[in-house]
Amino acid sequence: MRLLCALLAVLTAASSASAADAEAGRRKAEACAACHGPEGHATVPGTPSLAGQPAYFTHWQLIKYRDGRRRDERMSPFAAKLSDEDMGDLAAFYAAQTPKARGSAVDATRVAAGRPLADAYHCSSCHTPKLTGQQQVPLLAGQDLAYLLTLLRGFKARTASDLDGTMTMAAQPLTAEDVENLAHYLASLDPAVR
Amino acid sequence: MRRTLVIALTAVLLGAVTSWLIPAQAQQPAPPPSWKQGQPASMADSMLAPIAQPPAPKAPGEIPIDKIKVPAGFKVELWASGINNARAMTWGDKGTLFVSSRVAGNVYAVVDKGGSREVKTIAKGLNLPNGVAFKDGTLYVAEIHRITKLAGIEDKLDTPPALEVVYETLPKDAPHGWKFLAFGPDGKLYFNIGAPCNICLPPDTHANISRIDPDGGAFEYFARGVRNSVGFDWHPVTKELYFATHGRDWLGDDVPSDRLDVAPRKGLHFGFPFCHQGDILDPEFGKGHACGEFAAPLIKTGAHVAGNGVMFYTGSMFPAEYKDRIFLAQRGSWNRSKKVGFRIMMVTLRGGDVPKYEPFAEGWAQGEQIWGRPVYTRQMKDGSLLISDDYAGAIYRVSYQK
Repeated sequence: MRLLCALLAVLTAASSASAADAEAGRRKAEACAACHGPEGHATVPGTPSLAGQPAYFTHWQLIKYRDGRRRDERMSPFAAKLSDEDMGDLAAFYAAQTPKARGSAVDATRVAAGRPLADAYHCSSCHTPKLTGQQQVPLLAGQDLAYLLTLLRGFKARTASDLDGTMTMAAQPLTAEDVENLAHYLASLDPAVR
Repeated sequence: MRRTLVIALTAVLLGAVTSWLIPAQAQQPAPPPSWKQGQPASMADSMLAPIAQPPAPKAPGEIPIDKIKVPAGFKVELWASGINNARAMTWGDKGTLFVSSRVAGNVYAVVDKGGSREVKTIAKGLNLPNGVAFKDGTLYVAEIHRITKLAGIEDKLDTPPALEVVYETLPKDAPHGWKFLAFGPDGKLYFNIGAPCNICLPPDTHANISRIDPDGGAFEYFARGVRNSVGFDWHPVTKELYFATHGRDWLGDDVPSDRLDVAPRKGLHFGFPFCHQGDILDPEFGKGHACGEFAAPLIKTGAHVAGNGVMFYTGSMFPAEYKDRIFLAQRGSWNRSKKVGFRIMMVTLRGGDVPKYEPFAEGWAQGEQIWGRPVYTRQMKDGSLLISDDYAGAIYRVSYQK
């Protein structure tokens, strides 16, 4: 019985993986590499790295760029041309890549001040204790500092789009100083530490 | 002298009060995400969390339709698929099935082409548009913050016009902010404004079922103390409102029960946040209250089952005893160590009693593994039953043959 369950689990995993094709995603991601870097390791400040982002997260963001809930002058036109299948493939490809820290220049004082805030503001409730993300919730550890700042400020200002309002609510108690400190702390983390 | 003393004392008192108030405010911890709010310290290590909504619907080959078990004589088929996050359903006058979604942000039109169904997205990028209702050629859509309409939509499915605002002064809170929408027998549009939390003392504007005229006028609260009802219908004979409500989380695996309620008239209070399931006072907000102050549930439907769609069966395809029974779609639990729900229950009414509450269709959960989540039901013209599944992005049809 236990063997049967294990087999079933393997089969289920295989069948859901086959729906989205990471190898097809690799080919489709060539157009994304100009900004997001090869295999999703971006170097352009303000542009997020996608390597290691959970597939649900990347896929939902692409849907939101395509339907207009999330807007960006570079991303929106790209997403407008993507099919549902493209989105699934791209999301699967990036999820299969190993994330690495962006190495943003962080301020050690701010990193130290941000560390307790990640607990105080319950970031780990959804982003997981190591802030590596899960399901529709993004990996934050080691992300680009400028991007983290832009997003956190956007959520605080209620102008960034989130899927169900959770992040906009979470950002409301943050002060401008908290935003800075949290972003520096998140950017300082190593996404390989899980 | 005396006045100085009074002033000094007042100042000291005020100082004490404010010094007590202000640091309390400054030190007030940030609230956890709403799904985690109300979690007691004893459950702090719990791994329970809401089930993530997949970003894509399942392909037909990935939908194990044979796993759905129904009573003898009934048959289940996959009626439509590829409808991301398919939720509430309503029929147009000309046979179009309009389907809502939640986080997918879309409203769909499903056109029956005989042997197959064509799915068109007629609105997208909306703010959790869970509510759809249709009347006199017009589709009404409820998002979190507004109700809009699309007039004459069935003639323009390929070139849908922009949404026209009907009512837009609704609270913007995201938690429990998505709405079920339906026309009552009085011709008014009914919808829920849920509690903006798992458990809290909600503002007077929340935790209710409200109604407006179809032109957006005459807003009023119909029922209060309703935590979050995202499914209701009216009894075909008595015309009374029957509605399902999700109970609060983090009180344990088996309490409080979700409920099925009846609101025979306007103005009743159904207990939230003071009393749960008709007989349990809330550990925090129940103090100073008694459950007898509030309307009791018609039945307790089970803890964490997540009763969504409520629908009276009025067709003639199913056996005669099915007439006027309620189909209750239970989307299934997350805040429980073993999964429950993930099924369609059937409620038999007799006078004010419920002699039978039994499963009608189940199998979306196989033990702890889930492959689908039934959310709403809708009757077809021939009396067969459609079931939407927002997890698989599909609609099933249940028919009966003698």
